[in-house]
Amino acid sequence: MPRKLNITVDYNVCVGNAMCETFATSTFGLNEDRQSYVIDPAGDPEETVLEAAENCPVSAITVVDAETGEQLFP
Amino acid sequence: MVTAISDDLFSPEVVNHPYPYFERLRNEDPVHWNEKYELWVVTTYEDLVWVARHPEFFSSEWWKRDPRPPYPEIDESDLGLYQYVREFFQDWFIQHDRPEHMEMRKVVHGYFTPKAMELWRPMVQDAVKVLLDEAEETGSMDAMKDFAVPLPLLVIAQMMGMPNQDRPFIRSLAEKLLFLGRGEMDRMQPLADGIQGLIDYLSPIVAERVADPQDDLLSVLAGGERDGVYTRDEVIANAILLLLAGHETTINLICNGTRAFIEHPDQWRLFQEDPEGRMVRATEECLRYDPPVRSIQRIAGEDVEMKDKLIRKDDRMRWFITSANRDDKMFPDPDTFDIARYPNPHVAFGSGIHHCLGATLARLEGQEALKALAERFPMVHSQVPLEDLEYQPSITFRSLKSLPVIWD
Repeated sequence: MPRKLNITVDYNVCVGNAMCETFATSTFGLNEDRQSYVIDPAGDPEETVLEAAENCPVSAITVVDAETGEQLFP
Repeated sequence: MVTAISDDLFSPEVVNHPYPYFERLRNEDPVHWNEKYELWVVTTYEDLVWVARHPEFFSSEWWKRDPRPPYPEIDESDLGLYQYVREFFQDWFIQHDRPEHMEMRKVVHGYFTPKAMELWRPMVQDAVKVLLDEAEETGSMDAMKDFAVPLPLLVIAQMMGMPNQDRPFIRSLAEKLLFLGRGEMDRMQPLADGIQGLIDYLSPIVAERVADPQDDLLSVLAGGERDGVYTRDEVIANAILLLLAGHETTINLICNGTRAFIEHPDQWRLFQEDPEGRMVRATEECLRYDPPVRSIQRIAGEDVEMKDKLIRKDDRMRWFITSANRDDKMFPDPDTFDIARYPNPHVAFGSGIHHCLGATLARLEGQEALKALAERFPMVHSQVPLEDLEYQPSITFRSLKSLPVIWD
């Protein structure tokens, strides 16, 4: 069973580059302000979510292990 | 008495002192039809972000799609050159919409992640040190020619895998490409010369990288050809884009930032209390206060209404970063240079899907350049009165002609 992730987007930073949505299509979407939001933290495999976070050009995405609180990205 | 707003965006007044001009536009006519150039001028923060984040309404393919003649007008005998220039720029990935834009950007996007760019910091620090050592030996410098230009040029040339000795040649051609934002009637000739010169220079190097990839950015681009995303012409055109965008913008960040500090000695002293700790927010404030890029163009993909104005399909539009970054609806005391400002959601790098690919690299270079100046020089002074400094007459770049400085 894959571990649960806690994914947050910093709205002071997000510029709506939409790379997260491109990499992890089932996890991220764009809200009406065209900033990223989490549709489903379990939408894609962990590896894909981390790849999406790493490809955010402004480092707006934080990924944490929901059980242990361990920060997985950045 | 109410005076009409001048539509001459290339006048010395607007070029050298854009902030009062755009403040007036924001207050009186925020979505303004510029009659002289047949161009929508978008000036508020809110509208800029909205346009940039709705690429389905506002296309980036304006070199290809613009049905109007070029503005300002060009010599009639240069229409053939205009066609050549126009066809060249259409190959830039930033001149595409989805889905092609995403496919083309993805080829190089992974190279520019914040994590990957951080690995270049030591190299940037070394380059800054060498340049400032040389300047210190001389006792003065033109912050433009001796510092702001060579640093980003060195970095992008190394990243792309260009031989070091070719840098002055690359710069001389890149300077011709800067006519892309200029207003002179005869600007097509230098533009076409710059393009052809860079194509001639890069073609054999690209051919080598396609056949025998190296560990450099040019090989990453060439990989796009092997994967069927780019044609050979597109690899070359986008190599030119990365070369140009990879240094011209950062040049202006370093120079305009240095100027802002000279103008605000109190902020300079504050920065010097903790250059390492303050460099991130200070650089963001430089990017907001006097941004390297003045404006970006789009073309309407369909009829759109904004602030009671009807923008018609195929109308061209420019949004002015210079204006949005000083919008008091977003930034308290927008004309105050405050290096501790936070949050600072400026739009120096644009917004949305076309947000600057090299933003992290530009930030890193700006941080290291400004930090090193603050650590080394107790006070930096301009050798000419600041109000006499002149800018290139460009609608795209906020670029000083020179910035001669001394220090104590």
